[in-house]
Amino acid sequence: MPKLKTFNVKIETGDSGIDEPVQFSVNGFKVPFDNVKGAAQPGETMEGSYEINSFPHSLTLVGPDKGKWNIKKMSVEYNVENEAPYSITFGEITLDETNEANIWQDPPLPTFDV
Amino acid sequence: MSIINKLRSMFSGSADKTHEDKPETSQVSMRPLMDEVVAVEEPPASSNSEEKPFKEPEPIKRTVIQPPIIVSKESAETVQTDEVLIKAEPTLEGDQCKFMVNRDLIEGNSWYFENFESAEGSSLAESLFSVDGVESMLIQESTLTVTRVNKGPGDWLPMAKEIGAAIREKLEAKESLISKTILDSIPSEEEVRSKIQEVIDKEVNPGVAGHGGNVQLTNIKGNTVTILMGGGCQGCSAADMTLKMGIHGAFRKALPTVGAILDETDHKAGLNPFYS
Repeated sequence: MPKLKTFNVKIETGDSGIDEPVQFSVNGFKVPFDNVKGAAQPGETMEGSYEINSFPHSLTLVGPDKGKWNIKKMSVEYNVENEAPYSITFGEITLDETNEANIWQDPPLPTFDV
Repeated sequence: MSIINKLRSMFSGSADKTHEDKPETSQVSMRPLMDEVVAVEEPPASSNSEEKPFKEPEPIKRTVIQPPIIVSKESAETVQTDEVLIKAEPTLEGDQCKFMVNRDLIEGNSWYFENFESAEGSSLAESLFSVDGVESMLIQESTLTVTRVNKGPGDWLPMAKEIGAAIREKLEAKESLISKTILDSIPSEEEVRSKIQEVIDKEVNPGVAGHGGNVQLTNIKGNTVTILMGGGCQGCSAADMTLKMGIHGAFRKALPTVGAILDETDHKAGLNPFYS
């Protein structure tokens, strides 16, 4: 597992959104995003980032404490130590007070042409 | 009569009985009241200890779910060209390397070549087994996964280049890559389903149940099967060993013509995954 320096998220909300601040959890600590732009209301896009500078044993997007949050699409850009930055796009998911979504993905395996 | 009664009561010692009776009756009548008081007072005392008005509410334990990953990476398969393009992707463990080709090596099915003898009549596999260090291989549609004899980390590049050259040569020669005997022996999806399900029910699940695990057959495409590991198997540190040493062996013993066995379990999800 590489050391995660920073990560950025771009979340497109679907049918149902939330009013409360979007939070993520890193290694069990719940934190709100920095540099937040936009909102998580239906049809809107929210962007945020965070400087982790640690090893992400777990990195999740926390569901709202009340109601349901339908995420249409979410892309996460990872800036890890000693690796090229990479991004992963996640598909539709619905979060609520009972769940959280895993947003950590290891860097892709290196490939080469033969 | 009253004088006689008075005298009797004086000598029997019960002279004040009538006076004693009153307090006695009043005590008896008080007892139920006392019981009621006690009965009323007890429940609030116990309910207070349960409620603890200043105690913080228990945090809700959330389930970690995995959103689907949308693959946007342009792979060799998606590039439309007459040229044979091959990408190699060694695994982290280093014992296997996946070769992704921009055309099918076997259409709609998969085949596992356990050793050189099993490759007889299949020109591609015969050619690949002649590369030094190849132990076994699995061909699934446009992907070839090679396992090498030397396990563990190590540079795949020299061997991968040799394998890539062999694949390209066979594809450009437009030879038949897989023997007709093998292609004719590929079972129907129904046959694969019934035999694999039987193995899961009779062998695999009774075995993993001891560890609180279970295995489900989720998909069949040609002779390729996809399974899902649940319960104690999901996220277990021994899941990979169970899959490779136990499940693969049991499936291939029951149905030697089964192709790729894929595990679609998200071992990072669940409440207590080892692979997180």
